[in-house]
Amino acid sequence: MSDNEVTLTIDGKSVTVPKGTKVVDAAKQVDVAIPVFCYHEKIGPLGCCRMCLVEVEKMPKLMTACTMDVMPDMVVKTTTEKVEKAQKGVLEFTLLNHPLDCPVCDKGGECPLQDNTFKYGMPDTRMEFHRANNAKATPLSPVITIDRERCIACQRCTAYSERIEQDQGLVMLNRGFHNEVGTFNNEPYDNRFSGNVIDICPVGALTNTDFRFKARTWDLTNAATLCAHCGCNCNITMGTRLNKLMRIEARPNDAVDDGWICDKGRWGHHFVHSENKILTARENSRGDGKPTSFPVLPHDCTIEVAAGKVAEAFKKIVEEHGPESVGFIGSPYGTNEENYLYQKLFRHCLGSNNIDHKTYQDAPGLPVSHYDVEQIETSNVVLLIASDPTEELPILDLRIKKAVTTCGTRLVSLNDQKIALDRYSSQSVQYKVGCEALAIDALTNGLARELGESAPAQGSDQSGVSAEDMKSLVETVRTSMKICVVYNPSALSGEAVFGVKRLLKMIAKVPTMECGAMPAAPMTNAVGAMDMGLLPDFYPGAVPMSEQEEIKKQWGENAPTGTGLSALEMIARAGKGQLKALLVHRSNPVMDFPGGSQVVEALKKLDFLVVHDMLETETAKLANLVLPSNGPGYDEGTTTNIGGRVQARTKALETDHAPDWKIINLMLNALGDETDYDKVADVTEEIAFRVPGYQEISKRSVGKTGCNRESIASADELVSAKPAGPGKNGSLRLRIATFLFAHDKILEASSKLAHHFQPSTAYLHEKDAQRLGIEDGDTVLLSAENVNLEATAKVNNRCQSGGVVVPRVSDEQGVNGLIGVDGGMAWVEVRKV
Amino acid sequence: MTQILFKNINMKDLHTMKVYEEQGGYRSLKKAFAQKPEEIVEAVKASGLRGRGGAGFPAGLKWSFLAKDVFPRYLCCNADESEPGTCKDRELMLKNPHMLIEGMILCAYACRIETGYNYLRGEFHDLNVIMEKAMEDAYAKGYLGKNILGSGFNFDLYTHLGAGAYICGEESALLNSLEGERGEPRMKPPFPAVEGLYAKPTVVNNVETLCVVPYIVNEGAEKYASLGTEKSKGTKLVSVSGHVKKPGNYEVVLGTPIREIIYDLAGGIPNDNKLKAFIPGGSSVPMLPADQVDVLYDYESLAAAGTMLGSGAMIVIDDSVNIVETTLRLISFYMHESCGKCTPCREGTRWLYQIVEKIMQNKGQLDYIEKMEDICDNMNMKAFCPLADACVSPVVSSIKYFRSDYEEYFKNVPVSSV
Repeated sequence: MSDNEVTLTIDGKSVTVPKGTKVVDAAKQVDVAIPVFCYHEKIGPLGCCRMCLVEVEKMPKLMTACTMDVMPDMVVKTTTEKVEKAQKGVLEFTLLNHPLDCPVCDKGGECPLQDNTFKYGMPDTRMEFHRANNAKATPLSPVITIDRERCIACQRCTAYSERIEQDQGLVMLNRGFHNEVGTFNNEPYDNRFSGNVIDICPVGALTNTDFRFKARTWDLTNAATLCAHCGCNCNITMGTRLNKLMRIEARPNDAVDDGWICDKGRWGHHFVHSENKILTARENSRGDGKPTSFPVLPHDCTIEVAAGKVAEAFKKIVEEHGPESVGFIGSPYGTNEENYLYQKLFRHCLGSNNIDHKTYQDAPGLPVSHYDVEQIETSNVVLLIASDPTEELPILDLRIKKAVTTCGTRLVSLNDQKIALDRYSSQSVQYKVGCEALAIDALTNGLARELGESAPAQGSDQSGVSAEDMKSLVETVRTSMKICVVYNPSALSGEAVFGVKRLLKMIAKVPTMECGAMPAAPMTNAVGAMDMGLLPDFYPGAVPMSEQEEIKKQWGENAPTGTGLSALEMIARAGKGQLKALLVHRSNPVMDFPGGSQVVEALKKLDFLVVHDMLETETAKLANLVLPSNGPGYDEGTTTNIGGRVQARTKALETDHAPDWKIINLMLNALGDETDYDKVADVTEEIAFRVPGYQEISKRSVGKTGCNRESIASADELVSAKPAGPGKNGSLRLRIATFLFAHDKILEASSKLAHHFQPSTAYLHEKDAQRLGIEDGDTVLLSAENVNLEATAKVNNRCQSGGVVVPRVSDEQGVNGLIGVDGGMAWVEVRKV
Repeated sequence: MTQILFKNINMKDLHTMKVYEEQGGYRSLKKAFAQKPEEIVEAVKASGLRGRGGAGFPAGLKWSFLAKDVFPRYLCCNADESEPGTCKDRELMLKNPHMLIEGMILCAYACRIETGYNYLRGEFHDLNVIMEKAMEDAYAKGYLGKNILGSGFNFDLYTHLGAGAYICGEESALLNSLEGERGEPRMKPPFPAVEGLYAKPTVVNNVETLCVVPYIVNEGAEKYASLGTEKSKGTKLVSVSGHVKKPGNYEVVLGTPIREIIYDLAGGIPNDNKLKAFIPGGSSVPMLPADQVDVLYDYESLAAAGTMLGSGAMIVIDDSVNIVETTLRLISFYMHESCGKCTPCREGTRWLYQIVEKIMQNKGQLDYIEKMEDICDNMNMKAFCPLADACVSPVVSSIKYFRSDYEEYFKNVPVSSV
């Protein structure tokens, strides 16, 4: 037994635990269950409920096991007469004014108060007075309803608000018997993590308004799956009844979400039963081409027929125009299995490398370790580059707050805009919009100089970062000893992402440095999509096209090795009539790609457009053939989160039609590949066999909590940073920011979160505002590429002068139309309306 | 009787700097600065001075618990005086505020503290005006602030008003309140001496305790220790209230018989009534019946008698009083003041109130007494802080000594009535 461990006896059983462990946790290790209400492992001890009283030898009074640290040779007894009497007493007090609501209370069946009373309480009460009344069913926000009569004042929710959210949402008001949980000045409790209090409330006081009275918890079928809104891939439990999704709860996984989920994950699920869901395959009006006097309306067809038609059409076009004339735009929202099979289809069966899933530049793999989310807590410095976790990856925001406030981690932010986490950072360095490459290179060069390497001289601060700030940043990074770099490749313009990889290589050179990184793109499976080779220039496992020998060995002699077209290039070629056929999976280029109406024109020129998607989209409207995609709730397979963790998605609901991987299987069969996948695990198995880095991934190794795939090394990139060109007379560089509660097709149906929707807003620097004669609150028009976007101006210096930040708040906003179809830096004219 | 704190308490204008200095005020500072801080701590230890707020913990020992080498550190004077029956600190601050300031400076010097806060209960807004004026004068004279009397020692003092909560007299709740948080007690350990105000080492002492320190520095520890009993040294201010001819604050040497306090100092029971009971240390300690009036007034003797010296408030009850009514009034105080953090206190105090109220409405059942005793057992030492125990004291002791007062109520209640 080392110095850091303590041995004690609990109910006669000996247990050895690390110093600082609470007795209640030590007891769990020897299967001694001590009842609690207010104690929660993640929130810490409170000592409010007194339920966990235990007897400790040599101590004069009963002690609460949740607040007591283990001491060497302590002897704890949890089942003596004294303890049992105390437990009965505490429960009697707790139930004294608690309403007998069980028959109508949502918590029934999963209620710690019920459970503890059955196990430790008295069968009757001696309370014969009228029980105190309090407000029932009071909304704290559109999604949380509080029943104050049921509250037992355990203070779990207020402690959660203070220690985890750190947002002073819920507080305890009044004193003594009149105390009640509420918000300051009755303001709504509507931050983005409020829903967790529903999970942690030990009674039916804090309830899920969306789920109230909809189903009894014991009637629910629970599926252990993953949220699909962002790259965190938080573990959730989907509770369904009669094949309808009723509610979502957190499913604690310390390696990912630490037990919490954000409100979007909890309530943003109504799209699963949206009336806009594509439920069957169908052919759109561009049917067999026979001229008739009647319009050919879309008609449904079976999956088999549709798959066959897709295969036939693509095969024909490849035969006529060559493999360069077909393309695939996949999705960072697809599962690994779906993505893997699609790239297999296009490469193996059609010989084409025109495969992509994004509109920004990036390459798979990292030159350093791929850190998992947990390692944020053990890092000395977390460096955010172009990343805004609060909007993009909410659970990462909580994890960073936890690390900064309890683990001594320092946060440093390098971004073009101010972010909510700035108040936790020890240094926030802002570069000008569009100048990330310069800023990142300046950091790399600064480090190089410290290491005695040659580096270009520190030029004038074209990046907008002062020499002093950069020096300070260099010093922080250099002395960090263990640093976790979290960067958002989708927010880095041009080739800046390669600058990040160069920076990582340089950081790793610092002696005694432990460096890891997390590619933190907001999309669910961005990392997985890269790993599965949904790229025109890489095979699965980050094998570049140049590695011809390896490719041919793994994928066969006919495996294509010429670099294919990127997604934006495919759209451009389609516009020129050079790309003839395109298959789009879970992606909506019309709305999400830059180029606005030009994308529509390009897609219209295609001979054959297939859209395989979950919800009706603008792109699906243009398709010849539409295939139904399952999406979250129905999908199975695996996704890889920002920490490189591969986790299993289990389906919670049943559909009539085949799952995505089966549809792709049918297409593969129709194109000549004979592999028959019986279940999705078969695809996972093939991935483990074929994809470097995924060898250890299997249904078993992934289990319920996931398994990290091996860090995948990146190929060397030799691209140098080019400064973004100057703007045209007075226009501003556009920075589209992510907004968590965007009113898009996913959150369309979730009206419960509608109170988070925001109007179109443009954030300006005061210098630019002054120059353009714009005041805070004015309505302005942003114009570029023949597109005009209306917004309310907010002059708060969110970015440096020369840029304008426009959060994407809805589909209607059409913000992507302001960017040219080639995806370059967008310049917008801003003028007052 | 030897008077230390009340020596010239009724002197006109004692609260002004001029008169206070004429009486020898602030002369202890020079003497103290000539010694090492540790020596002052030792002197206070040797004097046997125990905390006068209610807990009776040896003051010097508490000072020596401060975490070494951790700065900054703080001194908080607990002027929250809310224990029912207690009004001694009020008199000290009203008439002799400089004595408290002098005591705080000495304590701060001894403990190497540079910032002090005087936490006054919210109702003391008038006293706050007096304290602030006295502090202003002390600053003007250089007794507060930087480099006091050229010693190199700095000490800044601030006052802070509470907002009407008895629980904020509990030291950790006081610290929470001072920090702007909810006035709820904190988990201990860590103790304030290690992690107190803003998580820094803090000394929390009662007004009376700090006021004794100048005497110890001026006259020496032995002189103080020569008064009182073996373990209860020195003098104590007693606030006598209730059925006495001369209610008020009296300074007694510890070990004085209670009979002397009630009948000599306070003039005895008026209207030819007889003594029925007395609560020797503020309502939070068990009451004693009249036949215990010869118990000596010191910590040990009262503990042996099954009660406590507490804050030093003697509430005298004569035989015209119905003890059940007294108990109800006392329970209502604790019910009102419970902070609500823990279940046994929050629910238990209210339940006890409801039961005793029902008894007084002639609707109580015989088994109510057993029920109350059981509820008290479920509250006693099971709650987060001793407020629950304080509520239990009057209930348990009134049942123990005056059961017949309760039984009177059951005589006329039909057995089957609810």
